[in-house]
Amino acid sequence: MLVIKGLKARVEDKQILNGIDLTINPGEVHAIMGPNGSGKSTLAHVLSGRPGYEITGGSVTLDGKDLLALSPEDRARAGVFLAFQYPVEIPGVNNTYFLKAALNAVRKSKGEEELDAMDFLELVKAKLKPLKMDESMLQRAVNEGFSGGEKKKNEILQMAVLEPKLGILDETDSGLDIDALKVVADGVNALRGKNRSFLVVTHYQRLLDYIVPDQVHVLAGGKIIKTGGKELALELEEKGYGWLTGEKVNA
Amino acid sequence: MSTLTTQDLYLSSFSQLQAKLPGQDAAWLKTLRLQALEQFKQTGFPTDELESWKYTNLSLSLLKESFTFDAPASTTAVAAQLKKAGFDTEKAHLMVFVNGQFSKELSSLKTLAKGVAVQNIASALTNETVKAFVGKIALSENRAFTALNAAFFTDGLFIQLEAGKVLDAPVHVVYVSTNAGQATQSHLRNLLVLANDSKANVIEHYWGENVSAYFTNVVTEAALAKGSTLEHMKIGQEDIKGYHIGSLIAQQEEGSHFTARLFSVGGALTRNDIETTLGQKKAECVMEGLYLAKDKQHVDTRTFIDHLSPNCNSTEVFKGVIDDQAVGVFDGRILVRENAQKTDARQSNKNLLLTKEAKVYSKPQLQIYADDVKCSHGSSTGQIDDEALFYLQSRGISREEAKKVLVYAFAGEMVEKIESAYLKPALKKLVDGWMEVS
Ligand SMILES: Nc1ncnc2c1ncn2[C@@H]1O[C@H](COP(=O)(O)OP(=O)(O)O)[C@@H](O)[C@H]1O
Ligand SMILES: [Mg+2]
Repeated sequence: MLVIKGLKARVEDKQILNGIDLTINPGEVHAIMGPNGSGKSTLAHVLSGRPGYEITGGSVTLDGKDLLALSPEDRARAGVFLAFQYPVEIPGVNNTYFLKAALNAVRKSKGEEELDAMDFLELVKAKLKPLKMDESMLQRAVNEGFSGGEKKKNEILQMAVLEPKLGILDETDSGLDIDALKVVADGVNALRGKNRSFLVVTHYQRLLDYIVPDQVHVLAGGKIIKTGGKELALELEEKGYGWLTGEKVNA
Repeated sequence: MSTLTTQDLYLSSFSQLQAKLPGQDAAWLKTLRLQALEQFKQTGFPTDELESWKYTNLSLSLLKESFTFDAPASTTAVAAQLKKAGFDTEKAHLMVFVNGQFSKELSSLKTLAKGVAVQNIASALTNETVKAFVGKIALSENRAFTALNAAFFTDGLFIQLEAGKVLDAPVHVVYVSTNAGQATQSHLRNLLVLANDSKANVIEHYWGENVSAYFTNVVTEAALAKGSTLEHMKIGQEDIKGYHIGSLIAQQEEGSHFTARLFSVGGALTRNDIETTLGQKKAECVMEGLYLAKDKQHVDTRTFIDHLSPNCNSTEVFKGVIDDQAVGVFDGRILVRENAQKTDARQSNKNLLLTKEAKVYSKPQLQIYADDVKCSHGSSTGQIDDEALFYLQSRGISREEAKKVLVYAFAGEMVEKIESAYLKPALKKLVDGWMEVS
């Protein structure tokens, strides 16, 4: 499904990713952990096509398709979804309008029929329930004035509506209390399936108690320095990152 | 052609035209026209040395053209076009002027109640009310275009409501300019007189279909007596050959409500002056507008709210979206005089620039001479939020579509504020249409 080879990227004059190799097969959940500033968000952004990064080497393919050659919208249409670490507030744009425009853009690109307002509303209401989100948030502007938890839930709602092939979650757990964390994790788990993969970026092991990964990678200094099973996350929780990076870093 | 010769041209045209202008049997008007011409002679056209014309240079645009007074009599399929634009004209009193002349054939008025007059002003020049108000609200002194208008106006709208009368349906007035060869001009004078507790809803709608340059110079005077309500909408849809200079000047008595809205999308150069005097206590005014400009369009909006009396409110919100190399100007002045205690005045101007070359000059001016008042103003100019743009794209929405969504997120507020079911769908269409071709 997703194959990353020797990926290098920089921002302005700062080299951030220094050769990432990572393969995620259909249905797998991979976690990326690492200290602050190690390049986790940068990797997530580069995969989703955020402007401002210069790719200085390597390749990324999704089902054999060269992802790096695509615009952000075409990546989304090809099945990449990024749940933002900091979801953007867009005053003046109604959440329902936004969700419907997004879904119809994706459906249209696949040659599927666009949904009308009625059908869409039915679909989105069904997806709201398991996330314990109030229907009133559909009438609000995108993320505007949402609490931290509401914003993260809204990301998961969008993912549930768009049904991507690859979900990239960037610190989706940060700022969530334990109840919200469970709801969000359940929302993600409900989307797991043999044709959908996830890349879960997190700073803490906590989330991985609920979204159990197939593999855990440690990113430091823009490189994957260790890969292991889910037990690696627990080890990191205990020992911090210092024993891997050779520095003293607060986990 | 220099400014001086353009001015001379108008002065010499007057002696030839004088006898053909409407109002030959109205001595007051003959006097008014002559006085105005004299004032114009003294003032001349404004230059950018004047503070109020600082960012709008006419010598490089309007004053380079020479416009004939012999605009062709012409007709257009107004009703069909309005329908296409989203207006259900069955629900309005429709008045149509083509090249400065009233077109009876294209107009259709509903039955009017007693005490309600809606007619073209050229047919009402011996009316005492017309005589009493024309030139008394919009003064020609030091206002070249108002003076020029007083001297040369051929026609316009006249509405008079007697006390307590309510005009239920909106009066939709369309001013069409159309030429094929020579550059043309029209000077239009509108007068709206509302007696105590009367109520009207008026739409001034300007559009053009022209081959050559044209110039529309319009002055609207509005008198709002005690407790009256006037909802005024001006839609500027001149074509890209058009120069539009317009004034809307109101005077408000006690407890009157005046709403002046502006939607300006058209014209090579557009200048709107919107002014009101809150002349007696508890009068209220709302000014709202949206100006959209692209290519090399120039759109200049100047407002003035004169708080003369105590306990009056004014709320002002203008937004602009400027694309390509277009230029927007907003100059909003609020004057709170000594006597105007308990004034509540709020003004906001926000602009969105879509390119690096687009420009906006925003100048809010609050002058306060009373001490017990609530006043606020704010002005901002920004670009499309790149973060928001990427967020939308990352959900599969194309960059182009995402930009439109964000422009509408900014500008749509001005459409959403409109309550009139007659106007709202058409204005939404107008804004959507503007984004479509930009
Ligand atoms: N736009 C930028 N300009 C300069 N440096 C940046 C920019 N974005 C990220 N960085 C730097 O790149 C490094 C990696 O950042 P990031 O990918 O956000 O790390 P993480 O998500 O692992 O905390 C950090 O040192 C950060 O300061
Ligand atoms: Mg991060």
